[in-house]
Amino acid sequence: MTHSRGRVGRRSPCLVAVVGVVVLSLGVTSCGGGGKKQVTAGLITKQETNPFFVTMRQVAEKTASDENVKLLTAAGTSDVDNQSQVAALEDMTKRGAKGILITPADSSAIVPAIEKARQAGVTVIALDTPTNPQSAVDALFATDNRKAGKLIGQYARAKAAGNQITPKIAMLDLAPGITSGQLRHDGFLEGFGIADGDPAIVGSVDTEGDQAKAEAGMGQLLKAHPDINIVYSINEPAAFGAAAAMKAAGKSNDDVILVSVDGGCHAIKDGIRSGEIDATAQQYPENMARKGVQALATAERGGSKPTGYLDTGVELIAGSSVPGVASKDEAFGVRNCWGK
Amino acid sequence: MASTSMAAAKPQRKPRLVYPKLGIPFILLVLCFAAWGSAANLTDVLVSVFRSIFTMSNFQSALVQFAYYGAYFSLAIPAALINRRFGYKTGVLTGVGLAAVGGLLFIPASKALVFGFFLLALFVLAAGLSILETSANPFVIAMGPEDSATQRLNLAQSFNPVGANIGVLLGAVLILPHITSEAAKTIMSPAELRRSQESDLSLVLGPYLGIASVLLLIWLLILFRRMATPAEQSQEEEGVRSGALGRLWRNRHYRYGVAAQFFNVAAQVCTWTFTIQYAQDVVGVPRERSGWYLQASLILFLLARFLMTYLLGIFRPTKLLFLMGALGVVLCVVAMFSLNTIGLFAVVGISLSLSLMFPTIYGVALQGMGQDAKFGAAGLVMAILGGAIMPLVHGRVMDQVGAALAYAVPGVCLALVTCYALFDLLTNREGGELVSEGAHH
Repeated sequence: MTHSRGRVGRRSPCLVAVVGVVVLSLGVTSCGGGGKKQVTAGLITKQETNPFFVTMRQVAEKTASDENVKLLTAAGTSDVDNQSQVAALEDMTKRGAKGILITPADSSAIVPAIEKARQAGVTVIALDTPTNPQSAVDALFATDNRKAGKLIGQYARAKAAGNQITPKIAMLDLAPGITSGQLRHDGFLEGFGIADGDPAIVGSVDTEGDQAKAEAGMGQLLKAHPDINIVYSINEPAAFGAAAAMKAAGKSNDDVILVSVDGGCHAIKDGIRSGEIDATAQQYPENMARKGVQALATAERGGSKPTGYLDTGVELIAGSSVPGVASKDEAFGVRNCWGK
Repeated sequence: MASTSMAAAKPQRKPRLVYPKLGIPFILLVLCFAAWGSAANLTDVLVSVFRSIFTMSNFQSALVQFAYYGAYFSLAIPAALINRRFGYKTGVLTGVGLAAVGGLLFIPASKALVFGFFLLALFVLAAGLSILETSANPFVIAMGPEDSATQRLNLAQSFNPVGANIGVLLGAVLILPHITSEAAKTIMSPAELRRSQESDLSLVLGPYLGIASVLLLIWLLILFRRMATPAEQSQEEEGVRSGALGRLWRNRHYRYGVAAQFFNVAAQVCTWTFTIQYAQDVVGVPRERSGWYLQASLILFLLARFLMTYLLGIFRPTKLLFLMGALGVVLCVVAMFSLNTIGLFAVVGISLSLSLMFPTIYGVALQGMGQDAKFGAAGLVMAILGGAIMPLVHGRVMDQVGAALAYAVPGVCLALVTCYALFDLLTNREGGELVSEGAHH
């Protein structure tokens, strides 16, 4: 095997070509990233352990980083810790926050502190939970709870029709006087095509969204009405409580249509996947946080100020789809769930 | 697809790696090996990215692999004809040029927002890379003394998995973390959805423009450099020995070997194509972290190659192939039924079993073929068609039964590869040395 002696070609065109390509490459890779004036904003959640609020904080921090927002964060010690939220509002206002996102622990008690912050020129957006009155804040970014309830109501009705069963419904509600719980309840009934007092509803119990209370309540309902075949639950802990009670009563997943609201990862992976929960309405804390931070940054940089209500989205996630009701599959639910 | 090659016997006296003045051309060709590794494995990431951007089924998104590996298959023979008629340099220039054009076609494709346009761009890119690979392998062999040919080819090919890892890294760092989330899309208006599509597709555009720029640079450097090697003329003398096709077809080890290679490539492409989807859909790994599991697969594949090269010197190759095939099947079953991190680790672990398959099947199928091996090698290379077809099957099954159970598809493919190993172990055959990949270019 022999070889030809290579000769270095004409250098000038080669060099020009190399420089040209390098410039082109740099041009391609240097796009984006305009400088934005840094603004300061705050996020106050109810607590730091609930995965819903953990996701909210994580997305807010990432969005703040993308939007050049200095984000101050604070949280209460529990779902009802109003005092910590009042203190956080005052502290963030003093530290120069021009906008604050808050998930009110007490929709009414927090209002005076919010009004004080707004008088100091701070834009306040309520996330997830409305204040009472809702006009106490500049805007509300939250799930349309009525729509969430309606979606699972429609699903339960279609599935019951498909299974050719006479509905015997158990309602596992939140507690009296809590807006989000009432909206979900009303939405479910609307989606199912019935109203309170309909004979299809064989019983109801307030669970406070707690698994143990839901299990106990469902156990009592089953004793009185062993033929229950549809269960509405206010949230997924309540759904798991209901499932445990049904299992204890000897009912299988196929005997009962169980629907819920939230869309946390635990419910999708361990409830929808196993068939314990038939469908859930998935809400998106990430949309609340992202849209909230973006809205505050836009307002502070001279853009429009957030007002009114923003629906942050809800999707029906079902283990098996039913005719006439649009739903997403379990894989979509896993990809977009919150928590672990 | 990351290909592998078998170690060659050491020469008695160390010959030079390349002829004088061919050092830089050799480096350029090595860059080509890395470039096609990058492009090939970036498509693995693209399948999940396009599924998200265009909100399409897994079957539809798997058309990305059909376009890519379909082009590789379709262009194999035309590439050989180009080399035969016009020489390797023309072949390399045609391949690099066409691949660069394919990369640049991503610009109009991302403006048009049409999935089919991206498939066309990928087809052109892969067509170029197919020609490039067909030309570059024999070109590398011809760039130095015969004694160091295998060493030279091994060195050049070792940059293929390096490029493959870079390709996945580009996807994991530059694309996946920045894609608009599906949750965000649930509240977007049609206008906002279109803007998010444009934004996401611009992310896809970046790495491909980078690859196109590098290829363009290589193309220019090769164009202006005299690189002809006299070894090309020997190719003129090569031809298919009369009756080779019939002899090959009558040889069951070869015939089944081609089928085994088809299923091996299929298992490899299926496994890597749907690793990200498994992580996201089954385990719930956030999109921005899901690419790292594919990266881990490729790193494992790379490291396992070295281990397998060592083990192949100790054990009979088909015995090792049988064990690794069986391991792959077990890992697929674990992935199907452990819908958690263990299942995801099993998916990553399949790369361990895949690492030795291509060169082992290649060598075993051509063992004792003599001069017919030159023709027979083409059939084994064309078995790459498995990478075009089976991901579509995998995608369709995934649409029906989910990401976990769909791993039955690579599981069946690996079972068939295992059967081939068993067949070789249980049947007597005439001896002959194992044939190394690339030895017949």
